Amino acid sequence: MPDISLWSECLHFFEETLPPQQFNSWIKPLHCEEIADKFILTAPNTFILKVIQDRFLPEITKIVERSLTKKPQFEFKIGKRTVSPSSPKILPEILVEPVIQINNKNHSKLNGSLAFENFVTGKANQLAHAAAMQVANFPGTIYNPLFIYGGVGLGKTHLLQSIGNLVKKDNSQAKICYVHATNYISDVVRAFQTKKFDEFKQFYNSLDLLLIDDIQFIADKPGTQQEFFYTLNSLIDSNKQVVITCDTFPKEISGIEARLTSRFSCGLTVAVEPPGLEMRVAILLQKSATLNHPIKEEVAFFIAKHVRSNIRELEGALNRILAYAKFHKENITVETSKEALKDLLSAQNKQVSIENIQKTVADFYRLKVIELLSKKRTRTIARPRQMAMCLARELTQLSLPEIGHAFGGRDHSTVLHACKTIENLRNLDHALNADFNLLNQTLRN
Amino acid sequence: MLLGISPDWIPTLDNFVAGHNAELLSALNLALNKSQAERGFYIWGETGSGKTHLLQGAVEKARTLGLSAEYARGRVPAAAQLVAVDDVELLDDAAQIALFDLYNHQRESGGILLVSGMAAPAHLQLRGLIYQVQALSDEEKALALQQHAQARGFILTPEVTQYLLRHGRRDLPSLLGVLDALDEHCLRLKRAASVPLLKEVMRNAV
Repeated sequence: MPDISLWSECLHFFEETLPPQQFNSWIKPLHCEEIADKFILTAPNTFILKVIQDRFLPEITKIVERSLTKKPQFEFKIGKRTVSPSSPKILPEILVEPVIQINNKNHSKLNGSLAFENFVTGKANQLAHAAAMQVANFPGTIYNPLFIYGGVGLGKTHLLQSIGNLVKKDNSQAKICYVHATNYISDVVRAFQTKKFDEFKQFYNSLDLLLIDDIQFIADKPGTQQEFFYTLNSLIDSNKQVVITCDTFPKEISGIEARLTSRFSCGLTVAVEPPGLEMRVAILLQKSATLNHPIKEEVAFFIAKHVRSNIRELEGALNRILAYAKFHKENITVETSKEALKDLLSAQNKQVSIENIQKTVADFYRLKVIELLSKKRTRTIARPRQMAMCLARELTQLSLPEIGHAFGGRDHSTVLHACKTIENLRNLDHALNADFNLLNQTLRN
Repeated sequence: MLLGISPDWIPTLDNFVAGHNAELLSALNLALNKSQAERGFYIWGETGSGKTHLLQGAVEKARTLGLSAEYARGRVPAAAQLVAVDDVELLDDAAQIALFDLYNHQRESGGILLVSGMAAPAHLQLRGLIYQVQALSDEEKALALQQHAQARGFILTPEVTQYLLRHGRRDLPSLLGVLDALDEHCLRLKRAASVPLLKEVMRNAV
C-alpha cells in the first residue's frame, strides 16, 4: 500500500521550501507508491526524473528516513499519473459533454487535423512544443496558465489545438473549449445583452481546459478583460488548465490591465520564433506528403529560401505550386515552382508611371529626359524614345494620345509607329530585345 | 473618363475574358465545385484588371449552385458559404479584425473566402491561394469588347474596336464604359455603331 501520509509530508515540505514555480514544475507531477518496501517514484518524463534524482532525492530520502527504521529504497519510473483520490488536480472523472458551446455559430470545435504528430519542431519552437506536451499530459498541474507568444502564422494555433486534441484523447469526457479571443468578446457582449451572465460564467468556469487564441484582441475592452480575469482566476484556482496565445510578450501587450498581464506571466511563458531554413524545408516536405503530393527536397529548398516569414505563407506558396502543376499538368520542379510563384514573390506591386519610364530609359541610354521629349530625331535619341513609348504602352493603361502628349506633344500615330518599330526590331535585334526585357523587368520590380 | 457600366450587364465567371488568368479562373471554379482543398483566395492587381468582375462572378456562380454567397466592398459581410471582400485596403482597423475573424470562421466551416486588393502579397497576413490578376493584352481587350457588345446585342466593327483601343484609356472598366455609352448613343439616334459616333461619345465624355 502506498504510504500516502509519508508522501504528503514530502509534498508539504517542498511546497513550503521551494518557490511555487519549481514546486509545480518538478515535485507536483511526481507520483509515489510503496510496493514491497520500495518507494516507486513515477515522473512524467526523463527530464523531470533526472532533476528529481540530481536535486531532490537527498531531501526526499531524509524525510522518508525520519519515519522509517531502515534506509528507504527507491525505484524510478517514467509514466503517467493515475487518477486517485490523493491527486485532486487531475481532470475529474464524471464530466459532461466534451465541448459545450455557448453559441454554435461562433464557437470552434477542436480541429482534429492539428495534432502534435504533425507539428514540425525545430530550434524555433522546441521549448513551446515541450511545454505544450507537458500541459497536455498533465493538465492543470504544471504550467498554468501556459502563455505562448509569437508572430502570425508560426504555429501557435496548431499547438493550442494539439493540446486540446491530446487531452481529449486521454479523457474523452474532459470539457474543453477552444475559443478565439474575438469570439470570447462576442460571448461577453451577448451575455450582457441577453442578461445571461450566470450561464456565461457557469460555462467558462466549468471547463477543464480553456484554450484561448490571440488574446491581444481583448485590448482596450475593459468589460471583457474583467470577465476574463475572473474566468482565469477561477479556472487556475481550481487547477483547471488555461492555455493562452498572443502575438507578443505579456508585459508588452498594450491596452490590457496590469493585473491581467501579471496573471498571464504567473505560469510559464514560451515563445515561438520564425522557423529557420531547415525547419521550413521540413515543414514543406511534411505538408506536401500530407497532401499526397510529395515534393523533392530541392523544390522544398527553393520555396523555403524565398518564403521566409511564416508557416502560413509557406503553405500558401506550396498550395499555389500544387495548383499550378495541376492546372498545367506539369511535374513539380524548381522551374515550375519559379513560374508558379512569379507573382507571389514580387516584393511589391509598383504602379509604373510614365515619368518613371522616361527617367529609367533615359538613364539606361545615358540621355537626359529633356532630350527624350525633344524634337530631335537622331537615331541615338529617337530609338530610346520609341523604346520608352513602347514600354509606356505595355506598362500603363494610358491612351495612345496621352502617351504621345507626355512625349513632347506627339501624335498618337507616332506612338503607334514607335510600338510597331520596336516590336519588329525585337524579333531581329537580340541586343535591343535584351535591352527591352531588362528595362521592362527593372520597371516592373 | 469613367462611365458607369449598364446595370443589366452582370459579371460572371463565364463572361470573364481570362487571358493570362486561366489558372486563376480554373482554381475559382474548382473551389466552387469543391474539388479544390484551399478555400481562401487573395486576388491582387492594379485597378481595372478584373478583380471585381471575378469576385462578383464567383458570387453569382455560387448562388446558381445553391450556395449562400455575399459580396461586399469596403466592409466585411456576415459569414456565408462564399464570401467575397473587395478592395481590402478600404477596411478600417475594426473591419480588418472582423475579416481576420471571418477568415478563421471560413477555414473552420469549409467556406470560401475571396479577398481582393491592390497590394502585393508581401504586405498581407491572410493566406490561401494568391493570384495576381494579369492585365489583358490589347488583342484580349478587343475580344472582351466584342463579347460585351454581343451581350448587349449590337455589332462592333473591328474599326470601332481599333479606334477605341488607340484613342481611349485602355483599362477594361473605362473601355466597357465607353462601349455602353456608345450603345446608348446609337439607340437614341437609331444608328449602327461607327467610328464617328464613337468620336462623339468620347468627346462628350471628356
